[in-house]
Amino acid sequence: MAVKVLILEDNPVARSFLSRVVRESFSDANAITEAGDLESARRHINLTGGDHGLHGVDPFKLILVDLELPDGNGMDLLAELVHYPATKIVTTLYSDDDHLFPALQRGADGYLLKEDRFEVLVEELQKIVRGQPPLSPAIARRLLTHFRDSHVADAQAPDSSLMRATTFTTSRPVPIDKTPDHERLTPRENEVLTYLSKGFTIKEIASLMGIKWFTVNDHIKSIYKKLNVSSRAEAAVLASKQGLV
Amino acid sequence: MSVTQGAATDAPPFDASEFEPIIDGRMHSRWIGWRLRLLVGLALAGCLMLFVAVRALVAVPAISAQWQPDAMGRAILQSSDEPLLQSYVGQPLERVTAGGQSVAVDAALVLGTPRWTVDDVSRGELLVRRAALSRLLADGSLTLHFSDMPPVSVAARTRGVGGLGLSFWLLVGPALLLFLVGATVLLAHPRLRSALYALMAWCQALSLLWIGMDGSRGLSVLAGPLIDDMPWRLGLDLATAAAAVHLFAVHPVRLKPWRVVAALAWGAAALGVVLATRGDVYGLWWWGQGLLLALGCVAVVVLAWAYRIEPHPFAAVMRRFGYVVLGTLAVVDAAVAAAKWQPAMAFDVATSAVLVWTLFFASVLVWVPFLSRSRQLMREFAMLAGLSTVATSLDLLFVSLFSLEPFASLTMAVFIALGIYAAARQWVFNQMTGSALLTTERTFEQLYRVARELQEHPERYLALVSRLLRELFEPLELLRVPQASPQARVLADGSAMIVPVTAAPDTDGTPVSLVLRFAHGGRHMFTRDDARLTERVVDQLRRAVAYDRAVERGRTEERQRIAQDLHDDIGARLLTLMYKAQDPEMEEYLRHTLKDLKTLTRGLAASEHRLSHAAAEWKADLQQRLTAAQIDLSWSFSFDQDLALTMVQWSALTRVLRELASNTIHHAHATQVEIDASLERGVLSLRVSDDGDGRDPAQWTHGLGLGGVRKRVKLLGGEVRWEESDPRGIVCRVVIPALVQHRD
Repeated sequence: MAVKVLILEDNPVARSFLSRVVRESFSDANAITEAGDLESARRHINLTGGDHGLHGVDPFKLILVDLELPDGNGMDLLAELVHYPATKIVTTLYSDDDHLFPALQRGADGYLLKEDRFEVLVEELQKIVRGQPPLSPAIARRLLTHFRDSHVADAQAPDSSLMRATTFTTSRPVPIDKTPDHERLTPRENEVLTYLSKGFTIKEIASLMGIKWFTVNDHIKSIYKKLNVSSRAEAAVLASKQGLV
Repeated sequence: MSVTQGAATDAPPFDASEFEPIIDGRMHSRWIGWRLRLLVGLALAGCLMLFVAVRALVAVPAISAQWQPDAMGRAILQSSDEPLLQSYVGQPLERVTAGGQSVAVDAALVLGTPRWTVDDVSRGELLVRRAALSRLLADGSLTLHFSDMPPVSVAARTRGVGGLGLSFWLLVGPALLLFLVGATVLLAHPRLRSALYALMAWCQALSLLWIGMDGSRGLSVLAGPLIDDMPWRLGLDLATAAAAVHLFAVHPVRLKPWRVVAALAWGAAALGVVLATRGDVYGLWWWGQGLLLALGCVAVVVLAWAYRIEPHPFAAVMRRFGYVVLGTLAVVDAAVAAAKWQPAMAFDVATSAVLVWTLFFASVLVWVPFLSRSRQLMREFAMLAGLSTVATSLDLLFVSLFSLEPFASLTMAVFIALGIYAAARQWVFNQMTGSALLTTERTFEQLYRVARELQEHPERYLALVSRLLRELFEPLELLRVPQASPQARVLADGSAMIVPVTAAPDTDGTPVSLVLRFAHGGRHMFTRDDARLTERVVDQLRRAVAYDRAVERGRTEERQRIAQDLHDDIGARLLTLMYKAQDPEMEEYLRHTLKDLKTLTRGLAASEHRLSHAAAEWKADLQQRLTAAQIDLSWSFSFDQDLALTMVQWSALTRVLRELASNTIHHAHATQVEIDASLERGVLSLRVSDDGDGRDPAQWTHGLGLGGVRKRVKLLGGEVRWEESDPRGIVCRVVIPALVQHRD
C-alpha cells in the first residue's frame, strides 16, 4: 500500500528536491501530494478527513512543512494538526532553536535542514520516521529550560542552570502541587538532555551512561512526546479558558 | 530588608524606622493645625512680654543723659536732652543729691553693671550706690553736682518709648528672632532636646534684651530686685550652658550616664546662681565666668565622647562651633578683666565685648537648626560671625592692654582679622562648616569615570551609583532601603542623606533608595546643596543609562532586521541555486556559502554566545559533517571561564572551525580528526590534527578557505600555523592570546 505524503513548500525547486528525498527514503510506492501554500495544504488535508484524520479515510502518513510560506507560517498548520495521525516534519532553512523549538512544541516529530546534502537528508528523514529524532545542543538546552520552568516555580536564568537541572529532581523537595507525570522528565531523561546540550552524540551518551544506544534514543523519543503532550495540555487549557472547547 | 554595603561592621545596624516619619514626607503637613496656631500664639506672647518689659522700662524715672568715662574713671556728660544740662556738657559729674541724701557718681555707676564688674569691692560699692540712686530717682527731683560748676536741679521723669534709644530697639530684633526660632524648633518636634534648645535660645534672647535695656539707661537704674543684675544675668548664661551640656548628652547620641551628666551640669549652674545671689563670695565674677567656661568645656567634651561612640557629623560640627564660642568667650573675659587697669576704656570694653559675644552666640544658636539647609549660607555666616568676633575681641584687647587710640586699635584689629581670614580662609571653611574637600576637578573625574563604566555595564547601575556616592561623600555607611522617596533629602540633622535610585530598568523596577550616613567619616554634615547635587548626578546617570539602552535596542533591532532580510531573501535564492547546481563542486560551494550566510545572520541576530553553548554546537555540527564523510572525530574542549563570546568572536571561531573541518574532509582523505581546544587565563589555543595524506603545508595555495581562516584568526588577534605531523597528516595550531578582553 502506498504511503501518502504531503509536501508543503512554496519554492518549486525545493519542492521537487524534497520529493526526490522522500522517494529515495522509502522503497514503498509513494503517493506524494505537493502544496505551495497553506490554503491548498489545508484543502488536501480536509480531503483526507480533516484535522483529526477521521477513521475510515486514508490519511497522510508523512507531512513535510516549510515554515515560511506566502500565506502564513507553517507553525499554524502544525498547531491545527496536533491530533493528526501523521509523522510531521519541519523543513526549513532556520536551524536555530528560536524557530525550531516552537515547531517541536506544536507536535513536529523532527526537522530537516533544507541546505543539507541529499544523502544527509535521506538519512535524517529515515531516522525521523524510524523514531530517531534529531536533537541539536541548542534545542536540548531549550528543552531543559522548558521542563524546568514548567514545574519549578522560581524560573532561573537559563544559562546558569545546567548543573542544577541535572540534580534538581533528587535534591529538591517535591513541590506541593504535584505536576502531572507527563510534564516531568525522569532523571535519566534529564541526564540525556544535559549531555545532548553539551554536544555529545547518542553513541557517546550511551557509553557515558552505560546504557544501550537505543535506550538513549528511547529517552529522546520520550522527551519529544512529553514536550508534545505538555504543549497539548497547555493548548487544551488555553482553549477551554477561551471557550473554544 | 536592607543591605549593608561595606559599612564598618561594628557600626550599629541601620534602623530604617528612625527615618520613616521623615521619609514619608509628612513634614509640611504637620505645620497645619495646632502647631501653627500655637506658634502664632507664642509669637504674640513674646511680643506681649516685650511690650510689658518696655512699659516697665519706660516707667523707670530717669534723667536723659549720655556719659563718657575719663581716664580717672569719672563720668563726663556727653550730651543730654535736658535744656538745663546743656551748659554742663563735657563736665564730670561728682555726685547727685536729693532730700539730704547724696550718691557719689562715677563712670561705673552710669555705665557699668554689676554683672560685668570684675572686682568684688567695686561691685559691692556699686550695688549700694545703685540702690541709693534708685531711691533718689524715685523722689523725682535731683540736684547734680558737677565739679567746678554750680549744682543744677533736674527733674527725673519717665522716659517715653522714644527715649529708649536706638541700641535697645536694634537688640529687640535679634532677641525676638531667637525667641521665635526656639519656639519653632520646640513645636516642630516637641521632645526633650527641642525643649533644651528652646531654653538656650530663650535665655540668650533675654540676655540680649537685658543688654539692650542696659545700654540706654541715661542716669537711672532699674528698681527692686533688678538693681543687682548679677544673679539674673549669670543665671541666664549658666542655664544656657547647662542646657547645652544636657542637650549634647542626649543628642546626637544618648550617652549612658546622660542623667548624671545633666544633673551635674544643672547642679553647677544652680550653685553658681546661689553664689551670685548671696553676693559675698570672694571673686564672684571669676567664679561665674569660670563656671561658664567649665560648663562650655564639659559640653565640648560630651560632644567628643558622643562622637567616639557614633561619628555623627552633628557632634563634629557642634564641637567646632563650641571651640569658637568658648575661645571667643575666653578672649572677652580676658579683655574685661584686663580693662580694670584702663578705667577710661573699661566700660566700653565690657559693654561692647559682651554685646558682640552675645550676638555671636545668638547667631550660632539661630543657625544651628538650619545647619544642613545650605552649605553656602552656613559658610558665609560662620565666616562673618567668626571674623567680626575676632576683630572685635582683638580691638578690645588692644584698647585695654596697650591703651591704643580706639581708632588705631580698631584699624589694627580689622587688618589683623582680615589677614587671618585671607590666610586661613580655606582651612577655616573646611574646619568650620565641614564643606567637602572635593575639588571640582576631582568630582568631575569621578563622575566621568563612573559614567564611562556605566556605559559599558549598565546592569551595574546600582553598584556604580553607590560607588560614586561613596567616593563623593565618603560616608561611613551606605545602605540600600527598598523604599521609594520622592527626592534626595537630608535627614536626621544632616547626618544622613537619602537618595532615590530607581533600580536598573530591566529589573522588576522596585524602588530603591540609598541612605548615606555620616559624610566624610562623620566629620561633615550633609547639606541641601549636597542633596541637590546628588540628585542631579543620579538623574544624569539614569538618563545616560536609558539613552545607552535605547541606542543598544535600536542597534539590536536593526541588526535583527538585516539578518532576517539577508536570511530570507538571499538564503532562499542561494538554496534554489544550490538545488539547480550543475555539478557537485558548485553545489558544495553554494552550500558552504549558505552556511556562512546562516552563521553571519545568526551572529547578527544574537548579541552574545556563551562559550559552553558555542562549543556544544561546534561539536555537534562538526560531528555530523565528519560522520557523514566517514571521519572519526575526537573532541576535547576545556575552559577555565565560561565567557560570553561577542558576535565577532563567535562567528569568526565558528567559521575557522568549519573551514578547517572542510579542508580535512575535502583534501586530506583522513579517517580521524582530533580537535583539542582550551581556554586558560584568557588564552585560547586550538589544535586540529588529522591523519590524512596532506604534506608540506608551506606549499599550499591559500585560497578562499584557508585564507579565510588566516584572516579571521588575525581578526581575533591570534596566530595560525600549519605543520606536518608524525607519522602522517597535518596539524593546525591556532593561538589567540587575548580572547578575554580586560574590561576594567
